[in-house]
Amino acid sequence: MIPSRVREQAAGPKGADDAAHRPKAGRHLELLGVSKSYGSGRLVVRDVSFTLHPGKFLTLLGPSGSGKTTTLMMVAGFETPTAGHVRVNGADVAGLPPNRRNFGVVFQGYGLFPHMSVLQNVEFPLRMRRLSQDKRRDLAMAMLDKVGLEGFSGRRPAQLSGGQQQRVALARALVFEPDALLLDEPLGALDKKLRDTLQAEIKALQARVGISILYVTHDQDEAMMMSDEIAIMNDGQVIQMGAPADIYLHPRTAFVAGFLGETNLIPCVHCGSDGKIASVKFTDGTFGSGLEMRHDRERGEGKAGLLSIRPEAFEFLTGMATAPNQIDGRVSDYTFLGRHERYVVAALGQNVIVSQPGQGRPRVRIGDAVRLTWAGEKGQLLSRQT
Amino acid sequence: MGEPSPPARGGREAVAAPGRSGPSTSALLLLLSLPILGFLLLPSLIIVPMSLTKGNVIRFPPIWISTHAFWDFLGDDRWIASTLTSLKVGAFSVVLASVAGATAAVGLHRAGFAGKSVVLALIMMPLATPVIVLALADYIFFLRVGLVGTWVGIGLAHSVIVTPYVFVATQVSLATLNPAQVRSARSLGATNVALLRFVYWPTLRPGILAGIIFAFAISLDEVVIALFLQGPNATTLPVQMFTSLEYDPTPKVAAVACLLLAVALLASLAQLGLSARAGSR
Repeated sequence: MIPSRVREQAAGPKGADDAAHRPKAGRHLELLGVSKSYGSGRLVVRDVSFTLHPGKFLTLLGPSGSGKTTTLMMVAGFETPTAGHVRVNGADVAGLPPNRRNFGVVFQGYGLFPHMSVLQNVEFPLRMRRLSQDKRRDLAMAMLDKVGLEGFSGRRPAQLSGGQQQRVALARALVFEPDALLLDEPLGALDKKLRDTLQAEIKALQARVGISILYVTHDQDEAMMMSDEIAIMNDGQVIQMGAPADIYLHPRTAFVAGFLGETNLIPCVHCGSDGKIASVKFTDGTFGSGLEMRHDRERGEGKAGLLSIRPEAFEFLTGMATAPNQIDGRVSDYTFLGRHERYVVAALGQNVIVSQPGQGRPRVRIGDAVRLTWAGEKGQLLSRQT
Repeated sequence: MGEPSPPARGGREAVAAPGRSGPSTSALLLLLSLPILGFLLLPSLIIVPMSLTKGNVIRFPPIWISTHAFWDFLGDDRWIASTLTSLKVGAFSVVLASVAGATAAVGLHRAGFAGKSVVLALIMMPLATPVIVLALADYIFFLRVGLVGTWVGIGLAHSVIVTPYVFVATQVSLATLNPAQVRSARSLGATNVALLRFVYWPTLRPGILAGIIFAFAISLDEVVIALFLQGPNATTLPVQMFTSLEYDPTPKVAAVACLLLAVALLASLAQLGLSARAGSR
């Protein structure tokens, strides 16, 4: 089965050049109530649903064992869902083996063929689709050009650096114009600096090629930096899905708040709300406020909850000033980290982390009694249940 | 053993290099290992001067020096016939063994089922079974189906004992196969046939070839089964040697032994070359 788009563009004399400028026919990838269990009855993926819109970047983010890779493998066809549907433009692909689905997959470790040259690697999917030698050479060279490896076509993968191998893997997964690109922790084996570079490169490549990307990672920074949308997974379920900023600012559960960035979770009791901002009472009897819970059924006066406040949302109150939201504590640690500095404040019977823009000299000293404040809309009230 | 070394100090350096120890240690090592090497090699090497005798009877020490034994061998129809039989048996058993051994290794590598260890044990069993038992069983069974006294019968029996070698050699190369390659090929559109051709075969080729060389050498050398299943038109080289020692002890036997030794040496060199090439990749 040759995807019609590849055939079309291969037919034209300058097919490879045209393809770069032509807007791609978009394809929806849709998962509906997908579950997976391995015989024992325990579900490793539970009722996962999401839609990857054409040209978008969706990341499945979660700790190891959260079912994110299994979900990706069900999309790629290496695992069969126990229940649910995987649809491409409305057509169910659950019954198709991996080689008859049309996804470009890049695995951790890339899986480049060591006995083939870079060009032969990139030609491979076109060869499987029985394109003529000239056409597949043209398409492969054009794709190598796009990933900046046009001068390396004759090399063997072993003669390339890790970053170059990564780009060959991407070129190979993109050259046949798949319905979507599926990336399984593709940067996991690389060092931090190279990872940052490649993250930017993948984003740039996506913009150039116009492909939808489904990305799996456990690295929250990577997810924040690259994604249009993030689906936070834990224990086989999608806990929360949304734009990175939305999830970061309005986490739905304590798990999400703690997993995507650092946060302070302060136990409290709900004691009134104006519909948007809720006021709460802490264990020492003082009051504070934060955004109302996102689940209606969890709300209500007298219910126990957690107030999530990001470290950078706090400010120190100086002198005798007071504010609507304030807690008293004592500084127990200070670390200078360059761009920002980090204080640990013992307050309300726990350690509260405070982050301030770095200035090189501490605002308060270890041992000082301090008063912390935050803006009500920067707190988020969460349910006690995770 | 097989590495080409410069004549004079090459051997000493080769011994001294890995340990990075003083010259006295390496001298001691050399002193100790040379006699052991001689002890292992001399019995085989003694064949060489024996084959070069002038006389018509195989004996030691030989009467120097003539190559007539080699020419006698080449001019003797019976010996040529048994050489051809041996080659046919070897080729046939190796073809069967490589198909069975390599496919079994690949199949078992990909599959996970309850009786896998039992199947593994079954494939390896010919290595542990006394050859005489196999030979007897083959004889009794082949008598019924009319395969005793045919080279096909000997080839079939040999394929059973050499299959484990190809199987193990294939398994070893399979261990180097990166699962991400298999999955990548799949997702890029490879059918089963394409997967075998483009992913499995290039990875497994050195292992399978090494297994084939080993299997062929073993079949060429095997005497117990070949003796049981022999017939007038199916006498392998080792069986021919064995019988001539009894009835016709000419230096031809030593000449043939020399040639077999040369083949074995070439085979190990080829194997060394294969593994060196695999290692350099």
